Amino acid sequence: MIAGLSFLAPLALIALVALPAILFLLRITPPPPRRLPLPTLPLVKDILGKEREPARTPWWLLVLRLLAAAAVILAVAGPRWQPSEDLQLAPGQGPLIVLVDDGWAAAGDWPTRISRAQALIEQAASRPVQVIGTSEERPSLQPETAATALSRLLSLRPKPYFPQREPAFDTALSAGANASIVWISDGVRQEEEAPRIDRFIAAAGNRLDIIAMQPSPVLALAGLTQNAEGLEAVIRRPVATGQARQGLIRAYDDKGRLLGDTTFALAAEAREARARLALPIELVNDITRLEIADEKHAGAVHLLDSAHRRRRVALISGETTDTAQPLVSARYFVSRALQPFADLREPPRGVPDPIARALEERPDVLVLVDIGTLAGETATSITRFVENGGMLVRFAGPGLAAASDDLLPVKLRRGGRILGGALSWDKPRRLGAYPEASPFFGLAASPDIQVERQVLAEPDAELSRASWAVLEDGTPLVTGIARGKGHIVLFHVTGDTSWSTLPLSGAFVDMLRRTLLIARSAGAADAGTATTGRERLAARNTLDGFGQLGGPSPTARPVDPRFAQPGSLDHPPGFYGPAEAGLAVNALTLATAIEPIRFGAARVTALSEGTVVDFRPWLMLLAVALFVADALAVALLGGVAGALRGRGRLATRVAAMVLGLGLLPLVTPIPGHAQAQAQGSGQDLRSIRQEDIRSSLRPRLAYVITGDSRIDEASRAGLAGLSNILQQRTSISLDEPIGLDPARDELVFYSMIYWPILAGQAAPPERAIRAIDTFMKQGGTVIFDTRDAFVQRPGGMPTAETRALRAMLASLDIPALEPIPPDHVLTKTFYLLDRFVGRYAAGDTWVETLSGPRDAKTPARAGDRVSPIIITSNDLAAAWAVDRLGNPMFPLVPGEPRQREMAFRTGVNIVMYVMTGNYKADQVHVPALLERLGQ
Amino acid sequence: MKVEEAHSVPPFAGKVPLSLASEAAQLAEVLPHLVVEARNVAAQLQLGIHGRRRPGPGEEFWEFRPFVAGESTNRIDWRRSARDDRLYVREREWESASAHWLWIDFSASMHFGSRLAGRAKRDRAVLIGLALADLLVHAGERVGLPGRTHPMASRNIVMRLAEALLRQDRSGIDPLTMEALPESLPVKRHDHVILIGDFIMPMPLFAERIARIAHRGAKGTIVLVRDPVEEEFPFSGEFEFEALETDETWRVGEAQDIALRYRERMASINEEMRRIALKHGFGFVRHLTHRPAAETLLALAAMIGGQVLPAHSALGATP
Repeated sequence: MIAGLSFLAPLALIALVALPAILFLLRITPPPPRRLPLPTLPLVKDILGKEREPARTPWWLLVLRLLAAAAVILAVAGPRWQPSEDLQLAPGQGPLIVLVDDGWAAAGDWPTRISRAQALIEQAASRPVQVIGTSEERPSLQPETAATALSRLLSLRPKPYFPQREPAFDTALSAGANASIVWISDGVRQEEEAPRIDRFIAAAGNRLDIIAMQPSPVLALAGLTQNAEGLEAVIRRPVATGQARQGLIRAYDDKGRLLGDTTFALAAEAREARARLALPIELVNDITRLEIADEKHAGAVHLLDSAHRRRRVALISGETTDTAQPLVSARYFVSRALQPFADLREPPRGVPDPIARALEERPDVLVLVDIGTLAGETATSITRFVENGGMLVRFAGPGLAAASDDLLPVKLRRGGRILGGALSWDKPRRLGAYPEASPFFGLAASPDIQVERQVLAEPDAELSRASWAVLEDGTPLVTGIARGKGHIVLFHVTGDTSWSTLPLSGAFVDMLRRTLLIARSAGAADAGTATTGRERLAARNTLDGFGQLGGPSPTARPVDPRFAQPGSLDHPPGFYGPAEAGLAVNALTLATAIEPIRFGAARVTALSEGTVVDFRPWLMLLAVALFVADALAVALLGGVAGALRGRGRLATRVAAMVLGLGLLPLVTPIPGHAQAQAQGSGQDLRSIRQEDIRSSLRPRLAYVITGDSRIDEASRAGLAGLSNILQQRTSISLDEPIGLDPARDELVFYSMIYWPILAGQAAPPERAIRAIDTFMKQGGTVIFDTRDAFVQRPGGMPTAETRALRAMLASLDIPALEPIPPDHVLTKTFYLLDRFVGRYAAGDTWVETLSGPRDAKTPARAGDRVSPIIITSNDLAAAWAVDRLGNPMFPLVPGEPRQREMAFRTGVNIVMYVMTGNYKADQVHVPALLERLGQ
Repeated sequence: MKVEEAHSVPPFAGKVPLSLASEAAQLAEVLPHLVVEARNVAAQLQLGIHGRRRPGPGEEFWEFRPFVAGESTNRIDWRRSARDDRLYVREREWESASAHWLWIDFSASMHFGSRLAGRAKRDRAVLIGLALADLLVHAGERVGLPGRTHPMASRNIVMRLAEALLRQDRSGIDPLTMEALPESLPVKRHDHVILIGDFIMPMPLFAERIARIAHRGAKGTIVLVRDPVEEEFPFSGEFEFEALETDETWRVGEAQDIALRYRERMASINEEMRRIALKHGFGFVRHLTHRPAAETLLALAAMIGGQVLPAHSALGATP
């Protein structure tokens, strides 16, 4: 009993040391309450409640709790009992021959097998022993001492292929009549192996003992099937054990990253199951390895080569290079539909022979969009391409309708079928149901597709078979036919919307996707074309018996690119050839049958597994029961009311603590979720400045503080004056203007910032520049005012202020600028203006260049957004500046009549523009504006 | 609520019997202070309470007064009257025939004092008893400790009683066995009993003992001494309370939860005591040890004066 007892996590037993500590804790808890004398106690005893508890936990409660804690600790340690029903060797003097199956099927429980073999060898200490792996090709009969045999045994490794047992059998049989043969079998054979095994068992007769697990629980991933829906993994087992099994198929990419998984379920009486890999096709293309989770052997691994990869598609269009509307061309529709699922190649435009050029790249699929006649050398090469396994997809078009070549799935009638044409349709036809034989069968029907025109197939006996999609009257819409190893597919409509609405529908994408899945892969096509070359592919990585990919096995020989057999000694499973066009060899193929070995009358001892008794659930159950008992006992001891209050709560707490301590190791994923908590939830409200709150509540104009108090005062007074005017004349109600330091202050509250430029001033800091840049990108407008119109000379040297502005703007992302054109919306936003004057009237005002077409009939134009920048030199603020009494602070130059009024109107228009955007450019206002303009 | 730690004087644990010697020493230690304090307190109250220096049915000479016509002639003191032409009556000092018996509870619970009070209930009981004795003696009454002294009217009554108490201590009292209220007191008819203590005992027993005293024809005054902690129960949290007279302990999970019920209970017990006292014509005064002793003493003096004197002072002199 003890011999078969083992622990999954023996280290957890160390926790048993803690039991005395728990005992101590249980004894000292609860902490003694404060003791106080109370003389009146006899008088009030009855109202103090019934909490008079025994001072100590009763011993049996302690035992209960300790037992519970011990049970938890033991359960965590995971004790399991494996009764050893070891094979007892018949006493004898002859050599002991141990045959160890070392194929992939044995890898799953390899340690068990080795330990069984070890036990056997130890039993036969004095006899000569021979250990033979059944996959050995030339085992030699040289019985060794038990010690050497042991070391030989331990050096055995499972192989990733089926063992060829014949040589091992022969060797074992040749050992003589007094030899004992023990065969530790994996119970799995290849189909044709049955007679050999039967022969061996018969010949060995009484000398033979077999250790095997029956029925064999091995699960194998036989291969993949690819159909229109995607990939399906085929899971097989040698024998229907009568037990249903579920499992998980995991898909990995070449870096070993998990791409996805899918479940499979083997019915009780089934030997095969299929699991669909419901992955996006992009991911499916990246899969290089599939495996059955928790089956650690090479047979549970399936490696994928490029045969499953993304199809390479060459798209060639008959359209002219200078397509007027590329976005509604057939080429565009087709390429958009194919892009997600295929590696789309288009030969560069203007290449003399695009088809030949495209075929050089060895595509899997060649898509021809309205290429009329294929003739001569081109037709020959395409024919060869198709016959070698390529797929040709053609779209009809005016060119094709007049074509006559045989690279079509069906014969076409001369002249298409047009709505209102010779073969007249009274109304557009709709797409019908997909024929059952069609690869499109099963796609969602889309009866909303209308076909107005198409090319027609000649009625033909083969036609219905070739029809992949038909209209509701049975007219084929998509036809396809296998030719050679490849396919030819024809869409009877154009790839654009001129003939039908098919390209607009999702069905179009689905159809193309299905078509792609039918196309054979480049690797296979290559194999077909490379009839002469046939370079053998050297092993790149091979699997070991446990299904781990490692360096190439020393026995691996270069493999024929068309190799499609299960792996063997010479060609162990793995990747062969270069990474991009490699070949994957697997331990199993879909054609490989996995059969159980029938041992017949031979003595079979079970490979002890499956009889393992796991005590974990029972111990956990016991612990839970003890805790429940403890809770009940506490409740009974203290009375239910008492248990609900003080003591009971404490007991629950203790129990919960012990339980929590015990369960802690079981609940392994304990990431520091405390750390994962957000490091504070946003900004503290108190840290928001008062000014910012004010700015966010009511709009206000803003100016940049230059540091020159005179200028700053002028800016402030100017914006204040403008705010007053706006208040009087418009519906805008502004708060007092605010001075800003863009490097420091948050700008997001303002829509317009006035920035007077000072000559000789240091360039603003990087932070300020970035802030202004962000401000402009977020839709704000900055008015740069150089205030130098007075000193500017046309064509003269730029003034100091202009230079300063240029230096500053050099680091900003500024759009192209232009002087405000007469039809700019700025001239119309509130007042009708033709000039933008300030203190000076001579300077130009620059805004972002308007991109839209200039139209004489449209009185106002605006871009898609408000110009982020307005540059003026007219010193606007000085013109707007008024003192407290409303008197202007600065004289105007040249001081024409109404100049101040015009300056205010300039300001009003700018603010209106900044706040309302291009609204005044809306066509709705055209009549009113035209009327105002007197036209 | 602030948790008041209670302590007993001397501190003793529930199970450990109190050493007699130490207890005696304790009382001996505090008695001189109590004596002084009792005198002080009594002296303060002397001003407020008039003594009984008035004529009455006593033995000792008080004064000669002129004979009033209609008086019994056998009251005339002829020897004095012979000196001059008038008739004199010899008045003797008023002397009460009854005695005051002072019973002070020395049971274990009386040795309790919380930090709120600052001193044990026993000390306060002794203080009140001695001061009251002083007041009574000054008022012409005789005061004695039942079973220890006979009623005395000594001017030095405080000292005399203190000595008696000390003797009693020396002779040995075990607080654990002392009774809060004795089963019987050697009192006579018209005697007055002053019972000072906390009377932590079952109410029926209390009622029975009071009744027994009352049935002997004695009057009495009950001074209930309580520690403020006992009344207020200012505890919160988990406590283990131990009784002082038995070795019981009681664990209380949330003391604040039962505070209200506790106060109600104490109030009802106090009310019950008052009812029992009044039923037998006893006075009832409750004293909390954190209050000054003089307060209670004043009330007591007034009460005893009002209760006792009218019964005996035919002359109607009221304090």
